[in-house]
Formats: sequence, C-alpha cells, structure tokens
Amino acid sequence: MAHSHAVKRYSGLMDWLTTVDHKKIGILYFLAGGIFFLIGGLEALLIRIQLMFPDNQIFIGGTYNQILTMHGTTMIFLAAMPLLFGFMNAIVPLQIGARDVAFPFLNSLGFWLFVFGGLLLNLSWFLGGAPDAGWTAYAPLSSDTSLRGVDFYAMGLQIAGLGTLIGGINFLVTIINMRAPGMTFMRMPMFTWTSFVTSVLILFAFPAVTVGLVELTFDRLFDGNFFNVSKGGNEVLWEHIFWIFGHPEVYILILPAFGIISEVVSTFSRKRLFGYSSMVFATLLIGFLSFMVWVHHMFTTGLGPVANGIFAVATMAIAVPTGIKIFNWLFTMWGGQIIFNSSNLWAIAFIPTFVMGGMTGVMLAVPPADFQYHDSYFVVAHFHYVIVGGLIFGIFSGFYYWWPKMFGRMLHEGLGQLNFWTFMIGFHLTFFPQHFLGLMGMPRRVFTYETGVQLEMGNMASSIGAFLMGIGTIAFVLNIIITALKPKNAPADPWDGRSLEWSIPSPAPEYNFKQTPLVRGLDAFWKEKRAGNKEMTPAEPIGSIHMPSPTILPFFMSVGLFIAGFGFMYAKYDFENGLLATLFGNHIIAIIGLVITFLCMFLRSVYDDHGWHIEPEELEDKGVKA
Amino acid sequence: MANVHDMGTLPAEPEKATLEGKNKILGFWLFLGGEMVLFGTLFASFIALRNSVPEGPTGDQIFKLGMVAVATFILLTSSLTSVMAMMAMHRQQVKKMLTWLWVTVVLGLAFLGLEIYEFVEYVHEGHTFTSSAFGTSFYTLVGFHGAHVAFGVCWIALLCIQGMKKGLTVVTAPKFYVASLYWHFIDVVWVFIFSVVYLLGKAG
Amino acid sequence: MSEQQHTSSPSGRHRLEGPKNHYITYIASILLTMLAFAAVMYLGLDKMFLVIFLVGMAIVQAVLQLAVWMHMKERDHVYPIIGIAFGAFVAIGGFMAAIFWMWW
Repeated sequence: MAHSHAVKRYSGLMDWLTTVDHKKIGILYFLAGGIFFLIGGLEALLIRIQLMFPDNQIFIGGTYNQILTMHGTTMIFLAAMPLLFGFMNAIVPLQIGARDVAFPFLNSLGFWLFVFGGLLLNLSWFLGGAPDAGWTAYAPLSSDTSLRGVDFYAMGLQIAGLGTLIGGINFLVTIINMRAPGMTFMRMPMFTWTSFVTSVLILFAFPAVTVGLVELTFDRLFDGNFFNVSKGGNEVLWEHIFWIFGHPEVYILILPAFGIISEVVSTFSRKRLFGYSSMVFATLLIGFLSFMVWVHHMFTTGLGPVANGIFAVATMAIAVPTGIKIFNWLFTMWGGQIIFNSSNLWAIAFIPTFVMGGMTGVMLAVPPADFQYHDSYFVVAHFHYVIVGGLIFGIFSGFYYWWPKMFGRMLHEGLGQLNFWTFMIGFHLTFFPQHFLGLMGMPRRVFTYETGVQLEMGNMASSIGAFLMGIGTIAFVLNIIITALKPKNAPADPWDGRSLEWSIPSPAPEYNFKQTPLVRGLDAFWKEKRAGNKEMTPAEPIGSIHMPSPTILPFFMSVGLFIAGFGFMYAKYDFENGLLATLFGNHIIAIIGLVITFLCMFLRSVYDDHGWHIEPEELEDKGVKA
Repeated sequence: MANVHDMGTLPAEPEKATLEGKNKILGFWLFLGGEMVLFGTLFASFIALRNSVPEGPTGDQIFKLGMVAVATFILLTSSLTSVMAMMAMHRQQVKKMLTWLWVTVVLGLAFLGLEIYEFVEYVHEGHTFTSSAFGTSFYTLVGFHGAHVAFGVCWIALLCIQGMKKGLTVVTAPKFYVASLYWHFIDVVWVFIFSVVYLLGKAG
Repeated sequence: MSEQQHTSSPSGRHRLEGPKNHYITYIASILLTMLAFAAVMYLGLDKMFLVIFLVGMAIVQAVLQLAVWMHMKERDHVYPIIGIAFGAFVAIGGFMAAIFWMWW
C-alpha cells in the first residue's frame, strides 16, 4: 500500500477550511475560542460598567439580562471549552507519540459545528435580541416565547454541543488506541490523563443537555408541554437535566487546566510530578463524583432534607481528591529549582487562587448556609474564582508553555509578565470584594443597587479590577501580534521538557513523529535525556507515512445544520415578505439545511478516503533533525 | 481503487483488521454509551411526566398493546437477522450477509410502518404532541427511537448498496459491523420502551 | 495497541461462532417479552411488584442481547463494557431523580 495518491493540497484559506490536521484544527480552535473570549470579556466589562455606580442607567432591564446571559454562555461554551479543545488537539497526540488523532474527519467536523453553533448564538444580537434567561435558562423564564432570544440559545448550543460530543469521542479513542509502544496508561503525561477524563465526562454529560435543549426547543417552537405547567409539565425537570449535565461540565472545564498546571509545575521545578499515581486516581475520582453532586445547585429547589444531605456529603467529598492534587503540586515545587517565568507564574498563582475558590465551594455545599448564599454575589465570586482563577490561569499558563511547540515562536517574556501581573491583580480586585458584596446581600443577575446600602465601594473596586483584567488581556493580544512578526526560531526543547512533544521540532511537522518513539517510562523524553540520549529511541524503521486527505465536507455539514437551525427558529415568524413566509413557514429552509447535512454524510460514506503518503525521501529532504 | 484484499485473504475478523477499523468500532461503542445517557434522560422525562394528563386520554386508555407486541416481535427478529449477517460476514459470505441485511431493512421498514399507523390512530383519539405533558414526552421518547430506526434503515440500505459495489474489504467490514451494533442497540432501547412505556402504561 | 499491530493475523485462537447462542438469545428474549406481556394483561398483580418485575425483565433481556448479539461477552471488550456501564450509571442517576423527586 506504499503508493501515494494524487491528492489535492490546498493553500491559503481553503487549506484552513479543509484541514484535518489536528495541529491546525487546534490553532483554529484557539482563533475561534479567542475571538469568543474577547466578545465574552467585552460583555463582562459592560456588566461592570453598569454596576460601577449605584442606580446606573446604562444597561437596564432586558438589555442587562441579555448581556449577562451571553457573557456566561459565551465564556463557558464558546470560549473556555474551545480553548481547552485547542490544547487537547495541539498537544495530546504529541504527548502520546501518535501521528494523528483517531478520527481526523470528525475532529474537523467537531470544530466547524462549534463555530457555526457559536455564530448562530451570537447572531441573535442582530436579530431581535440575545437570550435573556441566564446561562442556566431555567424554565419558565426560558420557555416564555414573547422574546425570541432563547431560541438562539437552544439551537446554537445544540449545534455546538454536538461538535463537543464528537470531539470527546475522538480523544477517547485516540488515547485508548493510538498510544506509542511502551506508553502504558500509567506512563501518560498528566495533561493527557486529564484530557482523557474530560472526554469521558463530555461523552456522558453532553447527551443529557442535548435532550434538555431538544425539550426546550419543542416547548418553544412546537408547543410542547415539558415545562408547561398548565398542561401537566414540570419546570423542575429542566433543573435536573441541566445540572446532571451542568455539574460534570464544570469539571470538563477544570480538569484539563489541572493537567496543564501539573505539566508546567513539574517542568519548571525540574522535578518529576510528586505522587503521579495519586494524581491519576484523584482525577478519576473527581470525574466519577462529578455525576453525583448535581443537586447541590438545587438546594433551594425544595427536594427535602434527605436529598440535600446526601448531595452535600457527596459534594464535600470532592474536596478530598482536589486537596490531594493541591498538595501534590506543592510537594512537586518543594525542593525544586523553580523558574519563575510567565508560564510558571500563572501555574503558581493558580494554586492559592483555586484553593480559595474550592474553600467557598465547600461553604456552599452546606445546605443551611447555602440558603443564605444562594443567588447572591457570593456564588458569583465562588465560580469566578474556580473558573477564571482555575481555568483561565491554566489556559494562560499553557499558552506560554506550549506556544513554541504550536507556533514555532517564543512569546515575549516581558509582555508575559505584564499580562500576568495586571490580570492576576485585576482578577483578585474584581472578585474578592464580590464575596463580601454577596454576604451583604447583593443578589446576582440584578442590574443595579441603591445608594447608601454600603455596596458602592465593593462594586467600584470590582469594576476597576475588571478593567485591569482587560489591560492584561490586551497585553496578551499584543504579545501574540509581536511574536507573530518575529522569525520562527523556537528551539525544539526550550524548557528542558519531560514529555514526548519536546522531542520533535517546533512547530511539530505535519506527521508529528518521523518514527514512532519507544516509550520507556513516565516522563519519557526526560528519561532518555538522563540516559544521555539526544532523542527518543525509535520503535520502527523510517517508512512512508499515511496521512488523511483534506476535505470540505465537515464545513458544509455544519453549514447545513446552521441553515436548518434558522429554518426551525423562524418557522412561525411573521414575515412581511410572502416568499420568505412560504419558505420558512413550510419548513423548506429547515429541510434544505438538513438535506445539505445528510448529503455530506452520504458522500462521506460512499467515497472512501484513501489518504496519501509522505515518502521516506521526502522526510529526509525536510531535514528533520531532532 | 481496487480492493487490496480479495475474498480469500481477508483476516478472520475483517472489521478489526486495521487500526481505522478498531478505532471506528471503539468510537462507536463509546457513542452508544453516550446514547444510553440520551435515552436515559428521555426516559427520565417520560417517567416524570407520564401521569401528567390534565386533558386528553391517558396511556391505559389508548395504548394498543397487541399491535405494539407485534412491532416488538418484528424488531427483535430484525436484531437476530442483523447478527446472522455478521456471522455471514465472518465467514466471508458476502451474498448471504447482504441478504440478511436487506431482510433487516425490510423488517425495520415494517416496524416503522406499524409505528406510524399507531401514532395516526392515537392522534385520532386525541392523544397528540400538544395535548398534555404526557403526550409531549411520549412522542418525544418514542419518536426519538423511531427516528433512530428510520436513520438505521437508510444507513443499512446505503451500506448494502455499497456492499454490492465494493464487496467485503477491510474498509467496508467495519461499516457493516458498526451498523449492526447500532441496530442491536436500537432493539435494546425498544425493549425498555415496550416495558416502561407501554406495559407499565397499561398497568396504570 | 500500537500501529505496529496493524494487521492482526488470522490467528489460530479465533474460531467462527455458531448460531446456537444467537437462537437461544432470540427465544429467551421472546419468552421474556411474552412473560412481561402476560403479567400485565392477564395477572392482576400488585403495581409495585409489576414495576420491579417489568424493569427486571427488561434489564435481563438487555444484558443478554448486549452480551451475545453485540459480543460483549467476548475478549477485547473492556472499553465497550466500561462505556456502556458508565452510560447506564448516569442514565440510572437521571431515572432516580425523576422517580424519587418528581413522580412520587
């Protein structure tokens, strides 16, 4: 089978639209996720502008609800998750010594579904108003059809969620089936482990929200009665479904960040990760427990003392594996030669910040206390401490760490320090006072507060902090631009790294590994370096490498669902234009969209992709020298 | 491209002969694990709402158990025929495999026909998607299953046509295998629908 | 698990399965279905008992079909078993929520 096929190689925009290379898809995830992160950040600043002074009149009522809902939804589904998927794409195959992911086609499909889902959701701003029922979209607030925003929420997240599910399955199979020889499960780097557990959670949590969103869509668009009490529906059903998904979702977010921190702390302490196996165990335990704690979001729903008690205990139990992790990071640093560069600064700042978020989490897990904290700014402070202080710190740390491997250029250290200090100080200034605002009685999701109730100072501090975080983000964007203008000269192993990704050139070549490496222990590359080897021992002779063909089908499949989404949403809309009314009213647009998607699936099934080969001579030409 | 392997030289389990095939099968199993959560959530919704019938008929008033039992029998048989197809595949009897798969498709269509007929009957008796929360959750759960059957019928039919053209290779074998897994899974879900929705519904 | 093992040779260990187990599963499934059907239609059983009985019958049937028809009883099915089991675990969690907090 060593003959190569003539395969069309695209360039420019077409290359990016058709790529199935996991490293390029990773970069696309960063680009799209980064843009959504900036949009979500802008929405956060608008919230803080409104809350800067008491009785402010800039964004009131419905407008504020839309900004607030879109901030939460965008940040969780369209910024945090894609950025993590970007890291998983860019790094996991390199860490396990694989040439590719298990399903390159599905990988690309997952990305484009996310993009078009996010696009659909954000188009709501221009089409009559964004979703306004909070990111949790509790019924009956969300099943009220007088405003159309929530339709965009249901459709957009449905499409993006499908993409996430596909991505999750892809990474599970990649990690299970495609590890290099010798890379046993207990030799996998921590980031790969956490990506693995995150993918498990995605696989089993996202179908629940798929059903929830279908039910919401049916209620809103087809007069269903799931949440319509007058016809026997039950609103608590939505809360259960949403949180059965929603709680694993927050661990889906935080676990890869744990993985990044583990890699960074260990590399820059120049020590192996303390308690690797307990770290793996803790990750698995957190993943397992995450499905048994969803009711702690519903303590005030009124499920009774037994339910609340059981779920309170289960929730507090999660503090144990998380504590194991915190101590392991501390002991990894203990006695190490710590290097305080921007990547490691983020990782070190992560630890106390996340402990604070975890502490308030345990406080919230006590039902009687939760009745006091519920729906107050205390909760807002808590989840921003874990999500921003945990996840975003982790993502920044990962960017500084892996940027050379992904782009072949080193990020500027000075700007990195500026980015870190402004963002970190801004973060604490923003969210620390919110604990006290909450305890003083400030409710979340309310667009203003009165003068003379002692809330002014805290809110002012919080808004100033938010702007500092904005400055930090700008410093990071500047850093990216300045770095992009410099030559691609990053060394293959700038940090004296420990895992396989540092054994190949920066940026990683298209085929990742010229020869699949033989893994002889945990921290495989470090082990070889200590043994005096400059590169990994290959596990195979140089041969031709099979690569999947680029394809545009995933793009059009996603376009089809995008069109179908609009078709369904506008089926009952009163169009002035007769033609539009016919097209939408008879579901013709929706059918066209679905036909496009199914046609693409048909083509994919009928035409086998034989891929193409990179021949050994070609490998030598490129002068791959490790 | 010509088939790399011709009939006689296929490995014993052609669906697992390549890494692509192994990946596809494992990925599909995991997908089925996710589908369990999907149907689990739909069942949970149905159970929560099945007695919420402020207006319109209730389950024990309308369910036609005889017809549903026939549909159950048909789907169960189609699951057996698809496993027969896989046995034929492992013996590299392409003709026989395709015949069994076509039988599976026909049985699937028969099931769908019965289900559509049943739904039409229910609608005539006032049990509609919008009549009550019971109606909504019933049609969503059973309809999701029906949509899975419809998709499976189209999919297996398409694979049969491909099988006639491309024959059995290490590329096509995983496709057949995965489709048969899907079909069995649909049958397993139906077992629960029959028990929990129809039989329990009749019991009140 | 590596790419080296790309082409698993038609090993001597592997023998073709016969249809016997599949027929047995088929007949067992039909019998179980009929039993459940009869329990509802002809025996005036206590409702609580009926719920447990019906769900039990369904689970037995599902496990049987998964094991035999979908070959989960065979070797190399560790990950499928974990996948299906965890899926069932989460699904049952949702079920329990619906039953205990909403229905009863």
